[in-house]
Amino acid sequence: MTATAISLRGLSKHFGQVRAVDELDLDIADGEFFSMLGPSGSGKTTVLRLIAGFEEPTAGTILLGEDDVTRRPPFSRDVNTVFQDYAIFPHMSVVENVEYGLRVKKVGKADRRRRAEEALETVRLASYGARRPHQLSGGQRQRVALARALVNRPKVLLLDEPLGALDLKLRREMQIELKEIQRDVGITFVFVTHDQEEALTMSDRVAVFNEGRIEQLATPVELYEQPASAFVAGFVGTSNLFRGEDARRLVGEDGTFAVRPEKVRLATSAPADTTGLCVAHGVVREVVYLGATTSSVVELDDGPTVTVSHPNTDTSIDAAAERRDQRVVVTWRRDHLVSLGSPTQATSPEEETA
Amino acid sequence: MHQLRRLDDGLDRGEGLTLSIIDRRPGLRVGLLLTPPMLWLGAAYLGALGALLITSLWTQNDFTGNIERVWTLENFKTLFTVEVYRTITVRTIGLAALVTAVDALLAFPIALYMAKIASPRAQRLLVIAVLMPLWASYLVKAYAWRGMFSADGPIEWVLQPFGLNTPGYGMVATTVTLAYLWLPYMILPVYAALERVPDSLFEASADLGAGSVHTLRRVVLPMAFPGFVAGSIFTFSLTMGDYIAVKIVGGTTQLLGNVVYDNQGAANNLPFAAAVATVPIVVMLGYLAAARRTGALESL
Amino acid sequence: MRKNRSRRRWSGPAALACAGVLALATACGTSSGDSSGGGSAAEDQGGFTAPDIPMQDSVGDPEGQVNILAWPGYAEDGSTDKSVDWVTPFEEETGCQANVKYFGTSDEAVQLMKTGEYDVVSASGDATLRLIASGDVAPVNTDLLKNYPDIAPFLKDQKFNSVDGQMYGVPHGWGANLLMYNTDVVKPAPTSWGAVFDGASDYAGKVTAYDSPIYIADAALYLMKTQPDLGIEDPYALDQDQLAAAVDLLKKQKENVSEYWSDYLKEVQAFKSGDSVIGTTWEVINAVAQGEGAPVEAVLPEEGSTGWSDTWMISSKAQNPNCGYLWMDYITSPEAQAQVAEYFGEAPANTKACALTSDKTFCDTYHAEDADYAAQIHYWTTPIEQCLDGRTDVTCTNYGDWTTAWTEVKG
Repeated sequence: MTATAISLRGLSKHFGQVRAVDELDLDIADGEFFSMLGPSGSGKTTVLRLIAGFEEPTAGTILLGEDDVTRRPPFSRDVNTVFQDYAIFPHMSVVENVEYGLRVKKVGKADRRRRAEEALETVRLASYGARRPHQLSGGQRQRVALARALVNRPKVLLLDEPLGALDLKLRREMQIELKEIQRDVGITFVFVTHDQEEALTMSDRVAVFNEGRIEQLATPVELYEQPASAFVAGFVGTSNLFRGEDARRLVGEDGTFAVRPEKVRLATSAPADTTGLCVAHGVVREVVYLGATTSSVVELDDGPTVTVSHPNTDTSIDAAAERRDQRVVVTWRRDHLVSLGSPTQATSPEEETA
Repeated sequence: MHQLRRLDDGLDRGEGLTLSIIDRRPGLRVGLLLTPPMLWLGAAYLGALGALLITSLWTQNDFTGNIERVWTLENFKTLFTVEVYRTITVRTIGLAALVTAVDALLAFPIALYMAKIASPRAQRLLVIAVLMPLWASYLVKAYAWRGMFSADGPIEWVLQPFGLNTPGYGMVATTVTLAYLWLPYMILPVYAALERVPDSLFEASADLGAGSVHTLRRVVLPMAFPGFVAGSIFTFSLTMGDYIAVKIVGGTTQLLGNVVYDNQGAANNLPFAAAVATVPIVVMLGYLAAARRTGALESL
Repeated sequence: MRKNRSRRRWSGPAALACAGVLALATACGTSSGDSSGGGSAAEDQGGFTAPDIPMQDSVGDPEGQVNILAWPGYAEDGSTDKSVDWVTPFEEETGCQANVKYFGTSDEAVQLMKTGEYDVVSASGDATLRLIASGDVAPVNTDLLKNYPDIAPFLKDQKFNSVDGQMYGVPHGWGANLLMYNTDVVKPAPTSWGAVFDGASDYAGKVTAYDSPIYIADAALYLMKTQPDLGIEDPYALDQDQLAAAVDLLKKQKENVSEYWSDYLKEVQAFKSGDSVIGTTWEVINAVAQGEGAPVEAVLPEEGSTGWSDTWMISSKAQNPNCGYLWMDYITSPEAQAQVAEYFGEAPANTKACALTSDKTFCDTYHAEDADYAAQIHYWTTPIEQCLDGRTDVTCTNYGDWTTAWTEVKG
């Protein structure tokens, strides 16, 4: 049990008829790397903006530590934000940007400069202080934004899809770097993203947002292995979903079930021992090469299609490609099946304790 | 550049052989594209300016009114030695600066409201409202202010209960009228400059702990600065060249434009008028150079 | 009503420059009207001799067209205002198609006449002598003009339209600059220009004056009558000292001036609103201001006045001389004169027009038949270095000097 950095209670934000955030309760622990994941329009960014103070809630309270900051303007909240577009002041040099918050707080010039340079060092831009923002690359600007926020040593750092504008390789590097920086400075990061991979890579916990509500709040592993709803199962990674008639035929039970593609095996014939296994027959309709893995889409005799993913241990995909239009047997372990009840059933133990 | 390329694409699709030659020769392509405007700029604009400067070095025969093409600096000597011209030059520059300052003060809150506070619908309406006065004739507006400042006008009517009178026709009326006339030219560039500033910059400033005043001073004003510079080029140069508004509401005030007009229109002394006309040109060149030094022109 | 419409026309935006010019147009008559100067006009007028240009002795078959260079408002063909049209009847009557070009300043008129592309021109006094001297216009055979005998005698054989008794044109119309005052404020009624000079401080901030260097002549005329020591004989012939005295007088006047006017509508408005209560004016302004209910009167002060007089002249290079003569005769006919004079607001040269004006008191208002009144007018002329009053011991100030001086007056 650690101290709570942020508590949201009954938080709502309505834009006209739209309930962007709908009676949200959430606690974020001190020092946590917390991600808010969801499709666009799911309310995650609005929550972030409510915490930062850029929006006023329609109802509910926001606590930073012990302080109720619900009605306070952004400039009197001990949080800092890294904006999606970085919001670097174009008329100031890099170091002036980083110093801005300290300058506002009337920190002495020498102290201010020293701390700004430290912050730039943290984000590995030590020699870039004199540059103008337009001379920097996207990744460098992103780091300046980070340094500008970190230099103020806020209790909480809010990051609004900060890696969205970067290319894939740079994004991967920055994911790791961000995580390292967070560990080094030890402050709470609240990270908004629509990229599930990003959320899974960096976070201690992830809240999956859908239509202004949290669908599931869990660690990355739980989120992936135990999705609480069809939405989460579909949004975080990919899942094969079986519902109704299909579920009854393939699983033998009523309900909704999900199984991850990499948990499904593909064979030419059914294994001898089928204990604890589900077995289904079908025809390979599509083979998709994905580099590290290959996906096969199998149309089952019993109706639904199933995606099967397997690592490319061969040096060519010929073997896999040859399977197209072949009859195959797909199997998966019964205990790899996730039963998706209603979202309320899918609460995780952490949330109870929080 | 983008536009150039798009135009080329159009050419590529539209035409075959002939234009493909142009296509392969980027120099030729740009040349063809830029020749007509450059001709216009070079011949019509700079040519006229050059002719003006040359004319200022000639003199005029007083009886026949013919220009005598003898090189002389006599006009400039008169311009610099006769005190009244110095007085008028200083007055004109002072008025231009004053009008610019008044416009900047008035334009900023309006532009800020339009760019950052008004709803998109209100924003469109406000842009139209700002532009609307430009549709009305300059003269109609100037005469409207003549009515405002007249002895039986609204200003007198408002001030009388306080024991005050209308300032009448003169520098005050001229400043107000010109500031009114050129205000859209200040609002629009400042609005455009502010509109381009992402809201996130203001949020970032607040997020970093800055109150409204600090944000205004450290972020909003610097970001609006190029707009102010652009607007001031309009307000300053338009004031420098004005001679009509001052005739209508200026009372006995005269500006450089009046001296040019009187010499050219009335006395037909084109050479001296040309010499006087070089003064605002030089002042504006100096002003543009100063504006360039601020770097504001680059971000326009 | 018609007068109203004509006014409106000049108030249009595009006409502002014209309005300023118009001020000059009506103001730029030339040469002093009193016949005090002895000897030939040529000697008086700076010593030039008129070039030997042959005079036409008959009017032959019309050429079918005529190119007219005129002040705005002098040759209306109905395109400005449908009811204002005296060009179409001329075309129907003579078979000469009239191609009218309006000019903005006397200087422009002089320049355009040099091209030889125009047959006739309505020249003001400051243009006439220059046109005669440069040989751009020919002497006019007045025997060929059947309306010439009806022209007011006091306009014939004047210094600005004839050389050595030979007419170089046919008089068109004239007017005087008057002293207008607000009858509610200015009491008793002024009788002297002193009301806007030495006595101007009585109406501080409410005095108005005409905005042109030529207005210096008004000050000079006042000095001529009030300070004989200065030796001013002709308000258009000022040596350096005399000009300096006039400038001093005008600088003192400026302290009390609300504004200078050159757009005559502006003056009407200023008198209506009370921004101006006394100052120089034209008859037409007085009429308009009274028509709009302003409490104003205009008087010809005891010192006399400055004014203008315009003359139709024919080009020495006229390609359509016959149609040109037909036009000069037509435009000085009573019918045409009545229309032009009423439209423009000036006294018609042909006094028979007085019977044809729509406003029967028009000629009385404009003193069209009053030779004594006309004699008190010093018609505006361009000051030149050769003193117009005949002095040869000094160099007079020219119009360029006056322009500079006027700029200094306004400061």
